[in-house]
Amino acid sequence: MALTIISLMKQVPLPSEMRMGDDGLMDRTKAKSIINIDCGYALEAGLQMKIDNPDAKLIVCSMGPPSFDVSLKKAISMGYDEAYLLSDRRLGGSDTYATGLAIATMLKHLGYAKGLNEDFVIVAGRQTSDGDTAHVPSQVAENMDLPQATFIEVADLKDGFVTAKRIIEGGYQMMKLPIPCALSFTPTGVDPRRPSLEGAVKARNSKVTVFNIDDIGLSDEKIGLSGSPTIVAKVANIVSQRAPAKMTDGHGEVELVSNLIENIKAGKNNVEIKEKKAAKEKKRPEGFKDVDFRDGASGILTWAEVVNGQISRPSLELLTPARNLATELGNDTKVMTLIIGKDLGDMPKELIAHGADEVIVVEDDRLQEYRILPFATAFEQVIKDKNPEIALFAATTAGRELAPRIGVKTDGGVTADCTALEIGEHFDRKKKIVYAPILESRRPTYGESKLATILGFVCPQISTARAGTFPVPTPDASRKGKIEKFTPKLPEKDFVTEIIETVIGEGGMQGLFEADIIVAGGRGTTSDGMKMVKDLADALKAQGINAEWACSRVMVDEGVAEYARQIGQTGKTVRPKVYVAIGISGAVQHIAGMVESETIIAINHNAKETIFANADFGIVGDYEDILPELIEKVNGGFTFGLDPK
Amino acid sequence: MNSISTDVLIVGGGPAGLSTAIALADKLKQRGENKRIMLIEKGSSIGSHILSGAVIRPQIFEQLLTTGEFDGIPFDSKVGADVTVKLNESGGETKLPFHPPYMSNDGNYIASLAQICKYLATLAEERGVEIYTGFSVDSVVYDSDNKVIGIKTKDTGVDHHGMKQKNFQEGTTVKADITVFAEGTRGSAVKTVIDKLYLDAGKNPQIYSLGVKEIWKVPEGRVKVGSVKHTFGYPLKDKQEFGGGFIYGLTDNRVAVGLVAGLDYQDPSFDVHAAMQIWKTHPYVSKILEGGSVIEAGAKTLPEGGWNSVPKYYADNMMIVGDSAGFLSTPRLKGIHLAVESGICAATAAADALVKNDTSKESLSKYEELVNSSFIYKELYPTRNMRAVMQDGMILGGLKMGVQLITGGACLMVPKTEADSDTTKKTKEFSSQSFQNRFAGKLEYDKKLSFDKVTTVYYSKAMHDEVQVPHLVVKNPEQFKSSNINEYGLAEASMCPAEVYELHIDKKSGDKSLRLHAENCVHCKTCDIKSPNSGIIWTTPYGGDGPEYNMM
Repeated sequence: MALTIISLMKQVPLPSEMRMGDDGLMDRTKAKSIINIDCGYALEAGLQMKIDNPDAKLIVCSMGPPSFDVSLKKAISMGYDEAYLLSDRRLGGSDTYATGLAIATMLKHLGYAKGLNEDFVIVAGRQTSDGDTAHVPSQVAENMDLPQATFIEVADLKDGFVTAKRIIEGGYQMMKLPIPCALSFTPTGVDPRRPSLEGAVKARNSKVTVFNIDDIGLSDEKIGLSGSPTIVAKVANIVSQRAPAKMTDGHGEVELVSNLIENIKAGKNNVEIKEKKAAKEKKRPEGFKDVDFRDGASGILTWAEVVNGQISRPSLELLTPARNLATELGNDTKVMTLIIGKDLGDMPKELIAHGADEVIVVEDDRLQEYRILPFATAFEQVIKDKNPEIALFAATTAGRELAPRIGVKTDGGVTADCTALEIGEHFDRKKKIVYAPILESRRPTYGESKLATILGFVCPQISTARAGTFPVPTPDASRKGKIEKFTPKLPEKDFVTEIIETVIGEGGMQGLFEADIIVAGGRGTTSDGMKMVKDLADALKAQGINAEWACSRVMVDEGVAEYARQIGQTGKTVRPKVYVAIGISGAVQHIAGMVESETIIAINHNAKETIFANADFGIVGDYEDILPELIEKVNGGFTFGLDPK
Repeated sequence: MNSISTDVLIVGGGPAGLSTAIALADKLKQRGENKRIMLIEKGSSIGSHILSGAVIRPQIFEQLLTTGEFDGIPFDSKVGADVTVKLNESGGETKLPFHPPYMSNDGNYIASLAQICKYLATLAEERGVEIYTGFSVDSVVYDSDNKVIGIKTKDTGVDHHGMKQKNFQEGTTVKADITVFAEGTRGSAVKTVIDKLYLDAGKNPQIYSLGVKEIWKVPEGRVKVGSVKHTFGYPLKDKQEFGGGFIYGLTDNRVAVGLVAGLDYQDPSFDVHAAMQIWKTHPYVSKILEGGSVIEAGAKTLPEGGWNSVPKYYADNMMIVGDSAGFLSTPRLKGIHLAVESGICAATAAADALVKNDTSKESLSKYEELVNSSFIYKELYPTRNMRAVMQDGMILGGLKMGVQLITGGACLMVPKTEADSDTTKKTKEFSSQSFQNRFAGKLEYDKKLSFDKVTTVYYSKAMHDEVQVPHLVVKNPEQFKSSNINEYGLAEASMCPAEVYELHIDKKSGDKSLRLHAENCVHCKTCDIKSPNSGIIWTTPYGGDGPEYNMM
């Protein structure tokens, strides 16, 4: 049978329009619908594969309301051959777990599965702009028992093997995997092509095949609310309002810069937020039955990711919420940490010093580098053995693909990218049941405008935590804990994926999204071609800070910087901890790309510029004067309040 | 090569193109003919590139649509109070005791033309018309006898220099028995046809105005729904700058405001966008807007040459309708009803031609017959000299206009009409006080009531793919530098309402050069019309690029 390239696609509201409500709230209904950005790149990746495999059939699949028809037809106009939509009211309320299952079932119905037609490859977007979980590709892969590669930038398909470039923290990895397999794509590869008119005519005359769940043989208990192990318990608005900038007083650059540093140390101006009425102490309604769904599960399991022979910082951060949760749960709840690798040395001890009670060590020569399949298998076996009630992962590229894959293995849901983790209780008013204790995972959603609380009712309750949200616990070398070896049974098929090479330090522009501080130059930094902007970023790097430099659109037009570094509406949207805008006037287009930064510092010679209305700290002065002084201070140890790596 | 064929291709989804489509589908159905009608539109959706005042004379839609459809037209409100005032520099205003000729709006409606076009598109689709949005014309296709046989859409997936990228998609050639050009003002494809086939031989050059429009949400009670106010005077200088402002009260505490100015001005520093911002600070306008906020903004040109500037609007296998043909009544400030009527006339001629299987020039001359016996002729012919005499200013021009009312359009001493690109004077030769000097100190914007051009671009939601050949072409780079930059001081930077053109002066050498920000373009076409030496050619960017108007 001929090769089939299957693209998974979701239609989403246009993200920029979703932010634009008059009241500052998200309004999905008025927003125009588009193909999710990452899915557009996956569609193109499929079309690129067709170049080397001209006989391949291209199909596009989606799950959602009938209105998704528009985007499916757009895929046909781009060059896809067939389109399928799983559309059923009973699917409403499905979480990512149920979605992954439903899509895998639809593909099986179409004949694509292990044991049926195996000559296929699945291409999907990394994540959607309205969900941001990045779960579904992993969950589809696990449900179909396929190898996977996520966060792929470009991929080639030749002779039954996919060679893919996977973006990882600070670099990339080249990997080779056999088909059938599932790939998810970042929006950094080949830009999605525009439809041709001929394609649009073809799409107009084509028909999207629509299935309901009965058609594909999926029972309604497995989908929708009843089939979803997680629920959204509540959604609160995040009120983000920037207080007026603290402007720096002083004469001459030396005084100005030192006053700026004092201001930064003293902190931002605060917005006066009207105190909300304190939440009323919830009275437990009468007649409610307590349910402890943990059913004997106990303890918190975390994953210590090893990168370049070290425990990654986000994995250490994870021990902070883990300890807090253990304390909240009481009853001597244990924090257990799983570490997998080769030659782990003192790393288990380091984990205990940072707060783990028990470290489970898996050492295997084949596991020196992270690979999803054997790691997921090892995890599954450890979970069976230890029966933890909660499992936590750092939301790194590895954590974000591993957690959902494990979630499918344990029939549980996953909450992605949390910024707060607490123990609470949940009242089911219909069934008159109180679920307690339960993990409340909170995550920003809808473009950071709301905070959703997600609950899962299957143990382990799995969440990934956003890197940089929690502090690394202060290590205590005298802490005692148990170190235990574990030898998982790893089948050969877990090693079908080959890592060809791992390159760190050439991550392309992914660094912009990960930087703690971005130094951005605008028109005012033309005089030396942004040299001092780059110098400032370098000086910060020399201090061990994760710094990057970027620019406003005019610098790209000037040819001073490449487009990949452009921040703003037509460039990148970033949210570093600190954003230093130098010589940038603050056109609305630029503001749109950086307004969500935690702290914004503006340096401009014109006090009237709009940028100051969007900053926390401001300094009015000439680029040529202020920057050398500031660079000197950084060389002397000033890091804008950021901790070195 | 990607290729498709159709019986009729309509280029442009504005009121003229959509009316042609609707009327043609109806007429073919009446005759029991089954023909393919395709309409392509460069905007991402129907309406996204539409900008108009708009006060609309509704009667023509009764002819185009069924009664039920007519009742469903999404007009905003019926015109109520209708005044014209002269704004004085001192901040006061003088109300005109009467309407200027043709300016009465009794029985008319205020509307968003973008919304009406979206509605018309659904009616066209119901009639079987195939509408494809997000496709722009790259070039017109001719046969060996120089007869139009269709168009080719733009290739996509090329870099700044036109090199094919991995996501390259070849444009599609559409072959059509009849191609109807309904591109709106200064159509970029039809312009090439007019040149190639000499369709403007013996006609006056077309002349244009530029309108800059904003829609505001204002505090309760500022403006009555349906009220229409037109202003003239401040900040435009009589005899130098022809035009005026409009303020239309919409439902839901919204108000449409705009300033329209003729592009026949001489001052290379004149800037309609800046004039619009200054106009808003006049108390007559500011008292309505203060405390409100902009919802949408944009700009567009309109052809004002009238009857004498209308080119021959048909040839073998092709016809031109609406603004592309110059069917706009300047004294009424209206073209929508003429666009619709021209669409109906063209559709009638096209239906006849298709039935006869003869789409030659002779067969399509029926279109001209129909136009000449329609109200297009009745409105445009007697006012054919009206725009021209306004070059004499409000008083003498107004007097000559009065004469024409009596003589049926004839008038002595009608000034010669020059192309707008020829009227601009070199900086040194412009002896009056320049616009920039006249308003020195008023050109800083408070960002509450008045805005810079990039903010207007933001509110137009204009976007252009970064990876494409810039769609604004400098015709002759050497001449552009020696003349447009050095002699005219880059008049394009002033004329463009969207900050596409920027004068860059090298700090060290003092060398002046053009910096082009094509991605800001709102598709108004001013540069193509007004650039001295016709130095800029406006071509289409990728389909789907450009502004995203919703209620303009």
